[in-house]
Amino acid sequence: MSDVPQRPIRVLLAKLGMDTHTVGVTVIAHALREAGMEVIFTGLKQTPEMVANAAIQEDVDVVGISTLSAGHTRSLPRLAQLLRDKGAGDKLLVAGGVIPEEDKPLLTDAGVQKIFTMGADTREIVSYLQGWWAEKRRAEAAA
Amino acid sequence: MDIAADVLAGKVAAGARAIRWLDDRDPRGLEVLRHIFPHTGKAHVIGITGPPGAGKSTLVDMLIAEQRRRNRKVAVIAVDPSSPFSGGAILGDRVRMNRHALDEGVFVRSMGTRGQAGGLSRATYDAALVFDAMGYDVVIVETVGVGQDEIDIVSLAHSTVIVSVPGLGDEVQAVKAGLLEAGEIFVINKADRDGAEQTQRQLEMMLHLRQTKAWNPPLLMAVASKDQGGAEIVDALDAHLAHLRTSGDFARQSAVRDHHQFVTLVREQVAARLLAGAGALSDDVRARRLDPYSAAKALILHVEVRS
Repeated sequence: MSDVPQRPIRVLLAKLGMDTHTVGVTVIAHALREAGMEVIFTGLKQTPEMVANAAIQEDVDVVGISTLSAGHTRSLPRLAQLLRDKGAGDKLLVAGGVIPEEDKPLLTDAGVQKIFTMGADTREIVSYLQGWWAEKRRAEAAA
Repeated sequence: MDIAADVLAGKVAAGARAIRWLDDRDPRGLEVLRHIFPHTGKAHVIGITGPPGAGKSTLVDMLIAEQRRRNRKVAVIAVDPSSPFSGGAILGDRVRMNRHALDEGVFVRSMGTRGQAGGLSRATYDAALVFDAMGYDVVIVETVGVGQDEIDIVSLAHSTVIVSVPGLGDEVQAVKAGLLEAGEIFVINKADRDGAEQTQRQLEMMLHLRQTKAWNPPLLMAVASKDQGGAEIVDALDAHLAHLRTSGDFARQSAVRDHHQFVTLVREQVAARLLAGAGALSDDVRARRLDPYSAAKALILHVEVRS
């Protein structure tokens, strides 16, 4: 049991912006934990700089942002840029919450790889992350 | 990308990656440790332990601020329990330390216990070595805090701080767990609550029963949520460190820790190798054709005959 190398997926969950709704992000945190992932929650009212720093210190695989207030069209691209600047551009950046359809192309171009619509099934989120992770490990093994 | 060299240069991303490898039991992690080990042995490793609800994370946040005021670089390892069923974990301690999120002199790392009992994860010691080699002056290790049997921290840390809260009745529990004998600094947090004086008197009484050693553990009051008591605690920690250095215990404890680590690594790797070639014996044990004791004896005899 203890000899098998363990590689749980590490996910950072954070809320950018000023909103204080935590139900969504809490539900997701628990779903990810049930799926065997380590979830680092940095809390509310995070700035892109705070999230980027935490992502590096915690060496997470995935950065998941919950945003229910405005400002995501600035803060998410800024976060993506900071991650790239710090050499962490290979971390998966995903977002969920209240994100209007018309903002999605801008965010995708800026480096947000997946946007989960409000009320997305947690199973969908888990399987997306696991699929990404499996593919990444396959690519690493082949290299 | 030379991770070991970058760790010694204090680069955050490299330190974080090295800790990841060690946490994941990736052999690259052990290679890094081999290279950086000669540069360890300077940092003051401080353990913070206590029951859930004691306010450990808030206390750590306060201690970080005080250490930073004294110009020290601080690393924090915050350990939380991993689910024994899914292996996952919610690591939420750093939420309490957000005011240091942009301070370049502070590094916070969250770790799950990943199947280890005793309040720490297997790689906690290794992570502390990485921070030591990176040049952090202080490494604060915050344990899980789910019970009173968290004594792993005592052998890992130079100075262990036992945190209590008024009215939880854990003074008696602490005696049972041996924490009262092993802790070096005692803090009653949330000391503005009812029952604080009574808790203080009870703990003082129990500490008097403790066998006299060279270090007299102080009992301090704090209200971490109001930033009260941090300076006194850091003063006590500094005094304890000075005591360890002058008594020779600092070096002695490090030697004991390192040797324990050596034995643990040998035990794991030898067992893994031996068991890898013991397929037939394993099957016999599973099928109850052979009892575990005879099987183990047969395997060891086989090894001894060969060597």
